[in-house]
Parts: sequence; C-alpha cells; structure tokens
Amino acid sequence: MKQAGSKNIFSFKYRLKRLKRDSNKWAIFTLLILFLIVLPIVSIGVKLFSGPGETWSHIVDNLLLDYLGNSLFLIFACGAIVLLFGVSTAWLVARYEFPLRKQMEWLLILPLAIPGYIVAYAYAGIFDYGGTLQLILEAVGLEFVRFDIMNKSGLAFVLGISLFPYVYVSSRAFFLNQANSLMEASEMLGVGPVKTFFKLMLPMARPAIVAGLILVLMEVLNDYGAAKYFGVNTFTTGIFRSWFSLEEPETAVYLSALLIVIVFTLILLEKFQRRKLRFNSNRDNNMRIYRKKVSPKNQLIIFLAVLLPVVLGFLLPVAQLIYWATLTYENVFNLSFLTISVQSFGIALLTAFVSVIIAVILIFFSKWSRLGFVKNIAKLGVLGYAIPGAVVAIGIMIPTIFIDRWLIDVMDYLFNVDLGLILTGTLVALIYAYVVRFLAVAYNPIESTALKVSNAIPDSSNMLGVGNLRTFFKIEFPLIRTGIASAFILVFIDVLKELPLTLILKPFHVNTLAVKAYEYASDEMVMEAAIPSLFIIVTVMLPVIFLNRLLIK
Amino acid sequence: MLDIESLSKSFDKGKSFALKNVSFHLKEGDVCALVGESGSGKTTLVRLIAGLETPDAGVIRLNGEVVSSLNNFVPPEKRKVGLVFQDYALFPHMTLFKNVLYGISKEKNKNQRAQEVLNLVGLGGMKDRYPHQLSGGQQQRVALARALAPNPALLILDEPFSNLDAMLRMQLRNEIFEIVKATGVTAIFVTHDTQDALAVADEILILQRGELIQKDEAANLYTKPNSIYVASLFGNTIQLSHELQSAFKCPLNPECSHAIRNENFAINNEECEHVTHAQVIKRTFLGHDTQLLLKLDSGQKISVLTKDRNVADLIKIGFNSKDVLEFNS
Repeated sequence: MKQAGSKNIFSFKYRLKRLKRDSNKWAIFTLLILFLIVLPIVSIGVKLFSGPGETWSHIVDNLLLDYLGNSLFLIFACGAIVLLFGVSTAWLVARYEFPLRKQMEWLLILPLAIPGYIVAYAYAGIFDYGGTLQLILEAVGLEFVRFDIMNKSGLAFVLGISLFPYVYVSSRAFFLNQANSLMEASEMLGVGPVKTFFKLMLPMARPAIVAGLILVLMEVLNDYGAAKYFGVNTFTTGIFRSWFSLEEPETAVYLSALLIVIVFTLILLEKFQRRKLRFNSNRDNNMRIYRKKVSPKNQLIIFLAVLLPVVLGFLLPVAQLIYWATLTYENVFNLSFLTISVQSFGIALLTAFVSVIIAVILIFFSKWSRLGFVKNIAKLGVLGYAIPGAVVAIGIMIPTIFIDRWLIDVMDYLFNVDLGLILTGTLVALIYAYVVRFLAVAYNPIESTALKVSNAIPDSSNMLGVGNLRTFFKIEFPLIRTGIASAFILVFIDVLKELPLTLILKPFHVNTLAVKAYEYASDEMVMEAAIPSLFIIVTVMLPVIFLNRLLIK
Repeated sequence: MLDIESLSKSFDKGKSFALKNVSFHLKEGDVCALVGESGSGKTTLVRLIAGLETPDAGVIRLNGEVVSSLNNFVPPEKRKVGLVFQDYALFPHMTLFKNVLYGISKEKNKNQRAQEVLNLVGLGGMKDRYPHQLSGGQQQRVALARALAPNPALLILDEPFSNLDAMLRMQLRNEIFEIVKATGVTAIFVTHDTQDALAVADEILILQRGELIQKDEAANLYTKPNSIYVASLFGNTIQLSHELQSAFKCPLNPECSHAIRNENFAINNEECEHVTHAQVIKRTFLGHDTQLLLKLDSGQKISVLTKDRNVADLIKIGFNSKDVLEFNS
C-alpha cells in the first residue's frame, strides 16, 4: 500500500505536479499584474549595473551630503512639527469638551486638501517683500521686518503644517477607541491628567502615532514642488536635475536607488517598533466617550490651541490664494484653463477607475488562485506607495523607452512601418505610473471591506454552481461597494494633487491643474497659480469631508 | 457514490497533517456523520470533498468521476455538491426567494422549484424577507433549502447546529434530517456532538488528529468501539487497569486493553458477576444523576453515576463480563 501522508508527498516531483494542477488563470493574471507593478523598481535595480553617469562623482563630492543632510533635516523637523500638532490636537478633541469641537474635528483634516507645494507658494507670498504681511503691517502703521521663509526650516514648517493631519487622524482613532476605563483607572489611582497622558496614553498610542508619522515622512521625501520653490536641495530635486538639466538618466537612477534605501529603512524602523508593541485594547462600538468639561477659560485655551494648526495649515494659505485669485482671475480663467481642468479631471477619473480595477483583480484573483504563494505575495502590489513619485516615474521610463525602441525596430524591420513612441510620453505611461504609485490607496479600503465578508458567502455561491467571476459581480461587488467607492475617491484626490510624477511623465500636449500651478510659480507668476490651486483644493475638500464622516461613524 | 482514497492535506508543507491518509466509501442515499473534536480534520475533509481546498495527495471520486487527484482538480462550482455552512452564509442583500433561486437560475422551472424547496422547509410564506429578518433556526432552514434546490449529488452539512441553543437544536436537527431523508440525497453531516450523530446518521466516521479511526453503523460504534477514545466519545468510560481487574476479581486478556461504561456499573446488585465493596467518599448532585466518588476496598478510586440520590455510604459495586469492552492495543 502506498504510504501517503509520509514525507514523499512533499518531494519535488509531487510539488511540481501540484503546482501544475493548481496553476489556474487567476494565478497567472495575478502574477502578471504583480510583475508590472514591481517592474519599475526592478528596472531601477537593473539599470544600476550599467554604471553611474559622468556627473555622478561630481554629485557625490559636492551635492550628496547636501541632499542627505537636507532630507534628514526635513525628516526630523517635519516629524517634530507633525507630532506636536497632530498628537496634541487629537488628544484635545478626543478627551475634552469645548465649543465647536465637532466642527474642529473635521476642520483639522482639511490641511490635507492642500498639496504641500501650494502651501509653500502661499506662505512665500505672505512673507515676501511686498507680500501680504508687509501690506497689512504698513496699513496699520507698523514697520515690516522681513522674515525669510524660503529655506529648509521654512520648508519643514510648510510641509509639517500641511501634513500633520495624518498623525492627527491615526492618533485620534486610537484615543477614541481607547477605553475610558483606562483613563478612569489611572485617575482612580490618583494620577493627574498630565501624567496620565505622558506615562500611559502616549506610550500606548505610539504604534498608531508612528503609523501616521511614517505616511508624513513618505510624503516629505516625495515632495518636489515645495523644495524646488524654496530652493532646498533634496533627493527629489536632485533626481529632477540629473534627469532634465544634466540629461543624465544614469545619475537620476543612482539617486533614486539611494532614496529607495532611505524609504525602506524608515519602513523597517516602523515595522520594528510595531512588532515589539501592539496594544489592541478591546474596541467597544457602543462605548460612549466621556469628554472632560473644564472651566470656560481653559475651554477657550483648548479651542485656540486646536484652531491654530487649522489657521496655519488651511485658513491662512487659502485666504492668501483667494486674495491672489481676485487679482488674477481675469488673466487665468480662459478657455485653455478650462481645457486643463477637464484634462486633469479626466486623467484622475481614468486613473481611479483603472486603479480600482487592478486592486480588485489583485485582491480577488489571488484569492481565487489555488497556489498559496500567490495569495501571500499579492500584497506586494501596494509597495508603490512607499516609492516617491519621481522615482516611480524614472522606474517607468526605463522599461517603456526600452519597449518602445524594440517595437520601433521590430516594426521597421518586419513591415517597414514607422511606429513612433506608443508608451513613452503618452497617457499609457502616465496612468501606468499613477497606478503603481497609488495602488495601495485603492487596495486598502477595498481589502478591508472585503475582509468583512465571510469567506463562506462566496464559497456557498461556488457550491451552488456559480463561478468566481459571476460570484464577484452578483455577491461580492454589492457587499463591498462602499470600499470601492472610497478607493475610487481617494485615488482621484491623490492623482489630482500629484506633481513630481506628472511633471516627468505627462504627454507634451496634456496638462494638469497641479502642473499648471507649478508652471506659473516657476515662471515668477505665483499669483496666477492661485486659481488652479483653489480648483484643486475645492475639488479635494468635498470628498475629504465626506470620507471623514465615514471615519467618524 | 463517494470514494475517497488515501486523502492527505497539510497546511504547513508536511510538518503536520490536517488530514492523513483517509480512505472511505459512501453508498447512494447514505446519511453519514463525521465526528471528531475540533482540530480533528472534519472541516478540512469536507472542504476537500467540496473542492474548496486542494489535497496534497489522494483521490476523490464522485459518482465514478475523479474530481480531485494529483493531476486533476474539478472546481467547486462544477462538482454538484451542496454545502450548508456553520454560519448559514446566506446572501445578505437578497431575499429568501432570491437566495434559493441563485443556484438554479438557469433552470426552466426555477421559480416553481424555489417555491417548492422553501415550502419543504416550511418557509414558503416568508420568501420576500431578507436573511437578517429571520431567526437562526429559520436561516438554517433557508440555507438547507438553498443547498437542496439544485438537486446536489451530495449534501454536506458542516456543524449546522452549533450556533443554536440546546432546545432549538434538537428540534431543528430532527426536522432537518426528516427533510434530508425524504429527499433521499446522500449526505455528510459534520458534528462534534456524538448525540447528534447517533440520532440521525446511518453511519458514523470518527476522525482523530487527521486520521479516520473508525467507520461503522451507529449501534455498532456504541457496542463495539475499536479504541478507548471512540468508546469515551459515546459516554463516560472507565479503563479497566490490571489493578481494577484484580479489585473486581475479573482477570482479562493481558494482550488487550479494556474499559467499561459508567452506566454498566450496578450498585448493590447481587446478580453481578464481578462485585466489590466500596465506600462513597463524595457525592455530586447533577440533577438527573448523582456522581459518586468511590473508594474501593483495594484502595483505588473510581467515579460512577447513579439515579439513586440516597445511596448508603458503604455499598457493593459490580458489573457483568458481557459489558466489558475489549480493544486490541
């Protein structure tokens, strides 16, 4: 009798047979998409072997320390700012009752609606010679002392004030879910609120806070527009310079690789700190949150403390932009601006659509694959979110140029046809890059709603003779619609705000609102940048409020 | 009807086996219970039969057709197996009628058939309700109707009553198996409750740590268990060690191990073949029964159940040879 169950059924021969048996079309599609997602990063790795460009040694000698120093400075300075504003506001709105608290809760998210580079333009305008601050001071008869914001400290402030909501959202969620009993226990033991915050809540909230912080730092390393405008040399500006000014793709690739190393170091640090600490207090959805009522004077202080970051991160820059808009709308608001808006929305909608489909394919096809390893690696598809946009763009350029050249040669040789570029410099490459970069934004909300549907539901559809695709459309899609809708909105927002990747990959005749704002600012016409910026902000704001409603529920 | 040959499945590449070398055969129309503790491989076995998992080795044949082997895998939607899940898994966004219609949407008389199976489970009048408007027992009956609608070749019920309370459970169990038997479908009923298994199954399969340790008719399993593990699944048993054998002056074949069921002990019954004196050292009132902890003359302690609440402190305890269970191990 054959002794199954013994070791031999895990011999290579048996494994190979099972691999052949279990390789279905879903597995193959999943692997194909994963290949396309990791291709840009792999391309950068491969391209490293063709050696650095001529200016590489010059960059290493003169600029690399500058890039590294500035990037590290930004990481620490922005980190400090977002922690200060993010954690304090989250604690105050979660634990204290004060006038307009509910309104403040969602107002605190609004700074996310303004891309960092636009905040940078606005602040430069406020503090510049002849800027808003000077006008106001002189109007009330005070002397204007120029405060120079266009340096790396100013950049850290601008990025910090526009990105702190990431930390606010993640730590507020923690403080809200944190059972009152913990606070009460601490107070019953006679520990005061300040000590409770620092000794109990802050250490427990650390994993949540750091998770928000890491998102901020990725955005900081991703930034190009603000750093460029403020004249601060960072890795991203270095990549742009090597690619466009020096025309040395090899050098841009080397800088990209270094930037990837920095990003992955940050991610590993985050994983490390999270691995050691995981405080999942039991969440009770029906739990009422008891907020402290303090004296009216203290309520006012809390209100002002919470208002400050909203003013700095949202109201002030938006006021500046509105002021500029009133001065320039006649020049800016014309037919070509309308065309740009339509193109911008079109690209964002198309990308959101494609990203949602790819995310759904990754999540569900990998589930339908019968191969264990395919299920395990599907999550690799979200890796692009960690990679700065400029790096993704470089990573996309390498294979698309290669494929285009090859196709042109083949078509010329076989059919004597001049094919021209079909990927490079076209919408295909641009949307491909957006999908790589923002797939995580679509993947996560869809996955989390899909996880709420018990596996037995699609399984029982299969058992009733209905195949996987039909099961998806009839059963799973209706049950995960909200996840798909929020995925769509989130990708749409991110694409609309995106600058560095778009600058590198956009087709010549196509423009987006973000790029238009950037071009005005680069051409010393920063006032004109106000209209496209406001367009972005308003479009982004509506869904941000909508999604926050969902979060609060 | 169902043929299973050397079926094995490991979830950790061979370090441990959820199912190890399981083989058995089911005849058309059999209702068979699959019994085992949690982690014994019951659910893995039925998921393999359903096609929701892929085996690492072994062959599954349904009506003579190979549905799963090393070279061949028929996906679940093509197997004609019906499965009733533990948590019912009704489609929450569809009415009962739509739920039942789902698996027969391509058939000609689908509406008639859906109404027919809903009537069969006694819910014909509620067809426009949604699953969340039903009680647990009603949901379970809809799940059964939905699985029966396409006339499956094999019906699997995976722990169908574990989410229900004890009273409802017994009533629903009898109702559901009346329906199952009336349709004549071959069925596998997964349960960890031996009472459920004995009550409804023609045949019972016992799984322990992924291995099939006994397959027999219900009555035979009770009277002729092939291991002390199986014996203890169907009621409290006491292992008859050599010391106990000598205490009761009942020498047994030393090559085998022996046990006796708690209920086969008799108190103060002079007709027993093997009797000894004992002292009651603890009484625990359990309602229906009283548990007695006894200290035998020879010093061993055993516990037995009795219906008599007023047993004296000093008693005679005994049993008959015909009730001794013998195992080859």
